[in-house]
Amino acid sequence: MTRAAFSYDFPHRHLVSVADLNPVDISLIFERAEHWRAVNKTPDKSSDALKGMTVLNLFFENSTRTQGSFEMAAKRLGADVVNFAIAHSSAKKGESLSDTARNLAAMQPDIMVVRHSATGAPQFLAERTGLSVINAGDGMHQHPTQGLLDVFTMNRHWGSVGGRRILIVGDILHSRVARSNIGLLSMLGAEIRVCAPPTLLPTDIDQWGVDVFHDLSEAVIDCDAVMALRQQRERMSGGFIPSGREFFHLFGLSHDTIKRAKPDVLVMHPGPMNRGVEIHTKLADDPKHSVIMEQVENGVAVRMAILELIGANIRKEAAA
Amino acid sequence: MSASFAITNARLVDPESGHDGPGGILVENGLIAQIGEELDLNSADEVIDAGGKVLAPALIDLRASKEPALTPDGENQSSLAAGAAAGGFGTVVLAPNEHSPLQTAGGFAGMTRALGQHGVRVLSAAAATQDLAGESMAEIGLMAKAGAVYVSNGDNPIADTRVLRRVMSYASQFDLWLSLRAAEPGLSCGAVATESDWSARFGLPSEPTMAERIAIDRAASVAALSGGKLMVDRVSTADGLAAIRDARKRDIEIAATSAIAHLTLNEVDAGGLDSAFRVDPPLRVEADRRALVEAIAAGEVDAIVSDHRPTPFDDKGEPFAMAIAGTLALETLLASLLALVHDEELSLVEALRPLTAGPADLLGLPQGRLTTGAPADLVLIDGDTPWVCHPDDFHSPRGNSAWAGRRFIGRVTQTFVDGQSIYNYNG
Repeated sequence: MTRAAFSYDFPHRHLVSVADLNPVDISLIFERAEHWRAVNKTPDKSSDALKGMTVLNLFFENSTRTQGSFEMAAKRLGADVVNFAIAHSSAKKGESLSDTARNLAAMQPDIMVVRHSATGAPQFLAERTGLSVINAGDGMHQHPTQGLLDVFTMNRHWGSVGGRRILIVGDILHSRVARSNIGLLSMLGAEIRVCAPPTLLPTDIDQWGVDVFHDLSEAVIDCDAVMALRQQRERMSGGFIPSGREFFHLFGLSHDTIKRAKPDVLVMHPGPMNRGVEIHTKLADDPKHSVIMEQVENGVAVRMAILELIGANIRKEAAA
Repeated sequence: MSASFAITNARLVDPESGHDGPGGILVENGLIAQIGEELDLNSADEVIDAGGKVLAPALIDLRASKEPALTPDGENQSSLAAGAAAGGFGTVVLAPNEHSPLQTAGGFAGMTRALGQHGVRVLSAAAATQDLAGESMAEIGLMAKAGAVYVSNGDNPIADTRVLRRVMSYASQFDLWLSLRAAEPGLSCGAVATESDWSARFGLPSEPTMAERIAIDRAASVAALSGGKLMVDRVSTADGLAAIRDARKRDIEIAATSAIAHLTLNEVDAGGLDSAFRVDPPLRVEADRRALVEAIAAGEVDAIVSDHRPTPFDDKGEPFAMAIAGTLALETLLASLLALVHDEELSLVEALRPLTAGPADLLGLPQGRLTTGAPADLVLIDGDTPWVCHPDDFHSPRGNSAWAGRRFIGRVTQTFVDGQSIYNYNG
């Protein structure tokens, strides 16, 4: 469908949680992402969609892939990009987040891309500064662009995720990627399964509208996609599992463990991978199943789409 | 104010006797001289017509925090007292916290004397352990001699059961309650929310309500072992209430307080992740709030506390999960509680008992009741005035209120301590 078919414009100035989006918003993002995906394959990638705008990358937690992906997306759209690695600067000097934010806002950027270890930090920054904020991961809460790029990747293979059976395996409890994916996939009518030991599941998971498994061989039956999550070592204090080795034997993805899934099952991972903990190296690199590199490629296109749509709304507001 | 005065034409509410009816009070030399519909007004120098307003004992708060002395821009003794008086409080007890651990026996008597200069009776609890670390005992005895009214380890549980046993046993020789925040340390460590559907969706570090029950079960057993008196500090869950009921069946000397936040708010209020709602214990689910209100009505909770905690801007200048816990409450406590009375969740007597006779009985105080000969600590309440909570209007220089913007019905119009008017809304 095209934008005209909806007679509806993308209404958002922020992207804090997938719960802010409706299925039409998602279609609009994917329509533009498809466009940028094609452009990104040509030698002439530059655009002036965000020309004159400044995008501030505020990463309070270390990130290579997500920050690089956002930076590349913003630069290809013609924006000026400034990276602030806050983990090493003012936060260490005892300045509150509120003060840091207002100082940065005074420099008149247009869009802040925020990653922070605390739930709600992007929303907090949006409220305190009035700037457009895109959440690049907050605590164990949300990572909406990752969720969107995952669904975009699945959509490109199937046309739609509606009615598809998708399994998420691993550390659901600490995963913002899982929360964003579950939110989007249930909105779009997918059948969601999760599989993890009880210590890595939220206690109220039964109320999330997902089917819960502790046995991977049962969970994978007839799945259209299987998504591994990274073991969040930095968020694990105090023995959620006995060892990485035991985890791999019970919950690791390999050709063997996914053999009861659909024959053309997609294998996904949000990265960075711990090979031999969540996923067997051979499966991760098997082009028949693994779409992990497609996820990375699509990440830039999806982020371009979001930046473009939000940038257009900023211009519209400024003109009004 | 004259040495002798009368307040007539009031709705007298005395939670101790359960009386709620028309009448007045004659005050002589700071004491209640006569009560009832027929007062001997000849001896009164002044007669105040209450115009049907509620006349009750001035409120008693067992748990407020002060900021360290001389904090720049901070709450000081006089702003704390002014806020308390405006909230209808005649007596406020300071509890230890990490900024102000109340553990220096040397300065204790001087501190409480200085605090007494502001009209409101300001009492203090004593730290249970040095730096509230739960390791070595603070000088409980010296502070008891200097007037400490109970012993508390602030917000920190005492993790080591042997230390807990000794503190409780040691405090028992002074007949002091040990007030203990009921949190099982392993389960509660780092939690900013209650384990629930809501907190799981937000991925917030959370504690199960069973952590409160386990902590109370354990502390109650230690009380049985040591012969001490256990005051459960800010019980907040149905599980915790169940543990208190079990302990009472075992004849353990146990009392309980609840904070106004947990009686009037639930986790959904924090749904926008506004740092103002970051409190300790964390806000609970609605079923827990209802259980607490029922426990108040049933008299199972002895005192409602403000847990008033002035917090600098910087501490709330962080996202919810990182913000310092605490809210101002003294100036809004009564109004927020009256909402439960208007909603018929509580009667006025039930609501006021844990703010008057309840805490007075725990500490053996003479005030908190309308009895001939008791100190004339009184409050006049207009139950029908609507108002909106604006932190800028507070006496406190801080503004961290979880009730900011709330609409209230009913406010304190006058507060008396020892027969002296310490607050008058109409000037």
